[in-house]
Amino acid sequence: MRFSFTAEQQLFQRSVRDLLAVECTSKQVRAMSTDPIGRSPERWQKLADLGVAALTVPEIFGGLGLGPLDWVLVCEEAGYAALPEPLLETVAVATPLLVALGSTDLQELWLPKVARGEALLTVGFDHALHPQSKDTQDQPGLVADAHFADLLLLTHKRELHAVAPADAKCTLQPSADGTRRLFHVDWTPTDATRIAGGEKAVTEIAKAVNRGALATAAALVGLARRMIEMAVEYAKVRQQFGQPIGAFQAVKHHLADAHLAVEFARPVVYHAAYALQRGDSSLHNTHAALHIAHAKARASDAALLAAKKTLQCHGAIGYSYEYDLHLWMKRAWALSAAYGDPASHRTQIAQTIL
Amino acid sequence: MKILVTAKRVPDPEQKVKFKGNTLDQSGVNWQLNQFDEYAVESALRLTENASSGNARNGEVIVVSLGPKDVQQQLRSTLAMGADRAILVDASDENLDSEIVARTVQKLVEQERPDLVLLGKLAADSEANDVGQRLAGYLGWPQATFACSIEVTDGGKALLVGREVDAGVETKKVTLPAVVTVDLRIVAPQAVKNGVTAATHAYADGPRYASLKGIMAAKKKTIADSSLAALGVAATVRAKVASVDAPPARKAGVKVASVEELVQKLHNEAKVI
Repeated sequence: MRFSFTAEQQLFQRSVRDLLAVECTSKQVRAMSTDPIGRSPERWQKLADLGVAALTVPEIFGGLGLGPLDWVLVCEEAGYAALPEPLLETVAVATPLLVALGSTDLQELWLPKVARGEALLTVGFDHALHPQSKDTQDQPGLVADAHFADLLLLTHKRELHAVAPADAKCTLQPSADGTRRLFHVDWTPTDATRIAGGEKAVTEIAKAVNRGALATAAALVGLARRMIEMAVEYAKVRQQFGQPIGAFQAVKHHLADAHLAVEFARPVVYHAAYALQRGDSSLHNTHAALHIAHAKARASDAALLAAKKTLQCHGAIGYSYEYDLHLWMKRAWALSAAYGDPASHRTQIAQTIL
Repeated sequence: MKILVTAKRVPDPEQKVKFKGNTLDQSGVNWQLNQFDEYAVESALRLTENASSGNARNGEVIVVSLGPKDVQQQLRSTLAMGADRAILVDASDENLDSEIVARTVQKLVEQERPDLVLLGKLAADSEANDVGQRLAGYLGWPQATFACSIEVTDGGKALLVGREVDAGVETKKVTLPAVVTVDLRIVAPQAVKNGVTAATHAYADGPRYASLKGIMAAKKKTIADSSLAALGVAATVRAKVASVDAPPARKAGVKVASVEELVQKLHNEAKVI
């Protein structure tokens, strides 16, 4: 048995990486953090031209109908570049959710546009539907990129609703990460917005949350890789006591610890993608869900450790606004808590195995 | 137009070079397509498509490489960019020189009968810059080297090739069939004009990325295998690398106290002014 990505999957990862190296530089990410919209439609169109937006859209709607093993590496590169656009939400979470629960009319209206890069989707889940949630009430969760999406898929009392941005009031919420915009969405559920309910809706929404956790885990691996690369480069050129600080054991150990954490998280993330592609991942503690919880916990731990260690290796400059590290560090803080923090995923694992 | 493009794999230029005695240690090397060859593939694609009509194909691009079986990976990436098919001539990197490569491409040209052979101006590892010139000589075809622009003219029977030279840009007219080697600026947005795509069309700067649809399509494209023996090329290496050494470490500079002292040193010691 061959345990590696196909040559095609790796080639596409390289294409995305090369494109983002030009179109999503740290300067561009920084500009997005203070931009009123904070998103670049031009960059999203270039990603769509490459095939990113069409990844999970079925072929009958002009997409490629691919699965987690095909998008997990793309999400990792999105994290590596700290891509501001909602790739994870659109490709990994919302599109498959619309495919699973949307009416034919809704799919015909939106999915071809998504595949062409002409429409972006985002999702908002009630806390109680989130498998890692401790809340028992159906409290609305925050919605990423509600201001930029063309269609909002929102849950309400175990139902899924499709809401046009014009029918919702979006209020920006404070966030550590200026490049990831989170909104409180005020909207009114109606029969016209409801697209699915009942047990099937609950199951598919749980799958969507799991896909979100996996995509976020992959992005966290990419973020951690980038932070470590930055710190390694800095340690080679920053001189202290007549030599590069990378020559000092304390700095070496910090970076080696962070590197080890990432290398132990990465295969777990890939295995979770494999498990998800090969099997079911419902709310009810199935095989794939367990691996995804493991992956999200590991990747969050690794990214948080990388953020901490690389910040220490940089010293005060790492915290300064003028230096790039904080753009990646704050994204890591934000995403480590998105779709369940490490503790909640560990709880889920414990409940599954005990 | 039928175009044959050469493609060589080279070690990643960003990777740190390791030495093994007086040779390069190539274990752990990340191989990639030679950048100038990637530009040649991009130029060939621009010459054989109608970019004003959804990049509809208007010709054939065949990519050729010499090397071990692993080179399929680099060839597959050119097919994903849009090339139509590829040919891999089995050979080991250490048993090749410019003469063998040029003779091999000559044989393939005689088989395929393309209208144009496009090559990168040099390979980033050897920087020999002589395969294109040798090939044109063996074929008896006109050549234009270091192209920074190509324009199809005379109803597709000739090319106007811009070449960056010290004094500016020299434009050469070569009748087809011809050999052209390409330089860095050939992938500028309007560097290639094929007479079919609207003259005002501007490409994105640089070689195109392999799209997911291109990658999927490449799976169905063929990479034909060949060998030096099958092509009747003598595998006698005439130029061998005797040794490779790292450049000497730079000596520490000298701080000068004043402009006057600097001028004195430049005049009396460096003797450059």
